[in-house]
Amino acid sequence: MNDAVALLWLPFAASIVLVGIHAYFGMRVIARGVIFVDLALAQIAALGATVAFMLGHAAQSQATLAWSLGFTLLAALLLASTRSLSARIPQEALIGVIYVVAAAASFLLVDKAPQGTEHIKQILTGNILTVGPGELLAMAPLYAGIGFLHWLTGVRSAGSASGRSGWAWDFFFFATFGVVVTSSVALAGVLLVFSFLIIPAAIGMLYAERPFVQLVIGWIAGTAASLAGLAASYAWDLPTGATMVCAFGIALACAGILRPLRRAPMAKLRAAASALRATFSLCLAASALWLALSPRADQPLLDSIESFAPALRASYLSANERTVYDEAELYSDRHRRQIERLNEMETASRWQGRALDDFEVRRISSFLQSYGEMRKGEEFVKREVRARARERRRWWLAAALIVLALLAYPEAALRARRLLRPRAQR
Amino acid sequence: MRIAWIGLLLALSLVPAAGAAGTAALRVVSTTTDLQSLVEAVGGERVAASAIVPPAQDPEEYQPRPQDLNRLRDAALVVRVGVDYDLWLDRLLAQGGDPALKRGGARYVDASFAIALLDVRGSAVGPGHPHGSGNPHYWLDPENAEIITGTLLEALARVDGGNVRYYERRRNAFLDKLKSRRQAWTRTLAPLQGVPLIAYHNNWAYFARRFRLNFAGYIEAKPGVPPSPAHLAGLLAAMRTQGIRIIVRQPYEPERDARFLAERTGARVVTLAASVGAVAQAENYLSLFDHNVTALANGYAGSP
Repeated sequence: MNDAVALLWLPFAASIVLVGIHAYFGMRVIARGVIFVDLALAQIAALGATVAFMLGHAAQSQATLAWSLGFTLLAALLLASTRSLSARIPQEALIGVIYVVAAAASFLLVDKAPQGTEHIKQILTGNILTVGPGELLAMAPLYAGIGFLHWLTGVRSAGSASGRSGWAWDFFFFATFGVVVTSSVALAGVLLVFSFLIIPAAIGMLYAERPFVQLVIGWIAGTAASLAGLAASYAWDLPTGATMVCAFGIALACAGILRPLRRAPMAKLRAAASALRATFSLCLAASALWLALSPRADQPLLDSIESFAPALRASYLSANERTVYDEAELYSDRHRRQIERLNEMETASRWQGRALDDFEVRRISSFLQSYGEMRKGEEFVKREVRARARERRRWWLAAALIVLALLAYPEAALRARRLLRPRAQR
Repeated sequence: MRIAWIGLLLALSLVPAAGAAGTAALRVVSTTTDLQSLVEAVGGERVAASAIVPPAQDPEEYQPRPQDLNRLRDAALVVRVGVDYDLWLDRLLAQGGDPALKRGGARYVDASFAIALLDVRGSAVGPGHPHGSGNPHYWLDPENAEIITGTLLEALARVDGGNVRYYERRRNAFLDKLKSRRQAWTRTLAPLQGVPLIAYHNNWAYFARRFRLNFAGYIEAKPGVPPSPAHLAGLLAAMRTQGIRIIVRQPYEPERDARFLAERTGARVVTLAASVGAVAQAENYLSLFDHNVTALANGYAGSP
């Protein structure tokens, strides 16, 4: 537990800072309808860093930073100047074009420079797990400053003004946003920054009308989702960025599902439960049909139930089949352990004890391959035994599934009777 | 008659070009710079070797370009790493259409032939993948250079039988030089024997086996999947309990994860080249090892 706290408090602090500024920009971005602008700006910044690299600057130097910033400001200029076109073409189209051209151009540049790929990667694939305290200390005041500027200028930067001053405010918006996104993407990666930007803002907008309330709801939701994502990533040993993105997605889904429950919750809950049961029942019925039609194919529902309750499998295998199945499982496991043991032995022999010669290494490899093949053979036996048993007992299994489906949603039977009755009377 | 004269004139006008191609070097195209360097070591001035993948790019993620077809078109030999490392070559060769350059053809060389592969996981042996899987970084064991150059010599003898003696002499000279350097490398790395190290990714199996190095953990256990917090916590704990002081990474692998571990444990990040050209100092097969051995030894000597 202490390990987890020691490792995760910095990423969590970084998430709070990032959610803080991105939820605000997210609301603006959604209002302007330029959802993917962050991807375009980050890619442009990466292009700038690539150019800097071509000119011989080191990866984390001032010059590289200046080039990235310069390119981002140019893109901001372009975005601000082309807003008048948005009556004819949606600005999102232009943003997409900026993104793909910047990505393609940096590939072309890198192609001419060995060792260049790492620069694009360093800019676009941050990892929030390995954020350093220095990065966080540099970032927090910058974001606070930008947030303060936006608070001072208020509505004017929201994009409602038109004419020349409207252009200037647009430029201000895209330029400050570019600075934020360039630094945050280098720290947390493209996918996570997009989630920070859009999802808390969207949740806030689902639940409130006033911008300030929306923002506060977004902050709370974003912080909670970050915490859940980090915890899940630690508990289940998963890559942090990807887990957090999924946690944010789940948070949005929950927010969307819970929203209608704000009024008359009991009636709606009952309706939702009924719909859920109907769906589940439909899945069971479809699974029964699929099993009857094609018993040897993948049976997603049956397979997942079996992985939770292996006893179900035992119920449709004959005694003989069960023996074969259990033996195959036993041997498969034994082969796996042999493979692990040989691998450990070979890896250890690289540096300790007597070194193995090529002949011995080849012998180990060929044993490994044989065990691998034998293991695959046992797995095949397991699949085949199960498929045959399912084929033989498919009518029973399908009938059981249909009964389960009716138990889950008995209304179906009542409705079917009501549909049939008039005909019978006629 | 006149047509014959014109034909003769035309033929003569082509002679300089054809003559140049005849006496000049055999064009040998390899997929990576490491194999290119070994081809040069054996072929010398009779061979013009080139590599398809530019140095310091990840050959596993290479995207072929239109010019690559031209490069392969009249190649005397095509040399690949194999072991599923440069799979994109198969599609290029299929497009080229020259049967002698395809798998099994007379001018096709798989350098992994007769190599004792490490990390064989006994996985699927599907069509077109006769090796199954194994760790493909076998050129990082200098002993394997003897096998690879043997394969190359045999292939060169097949397409340019007249110069076999020349190639053989060059190969022996190269192996002599390699042998004496290898002794120096082994001496330099002797203090590191059994010392636990961390690497970003498992590129160093063959290098470790030859120089008796102990890679105790990897930051990226599965290629392309960033580390989970539990994995990093495990690495940090292992680094503390085993006193691991060196983290090895390649230039194209992300710096921040390695730096993160280094900052928390006081270890050092040492950048090694897994391929010729990945860093400027590693300009051929021998200097690749010179660089790696020196960098590792210096990193160890200078580490806290």
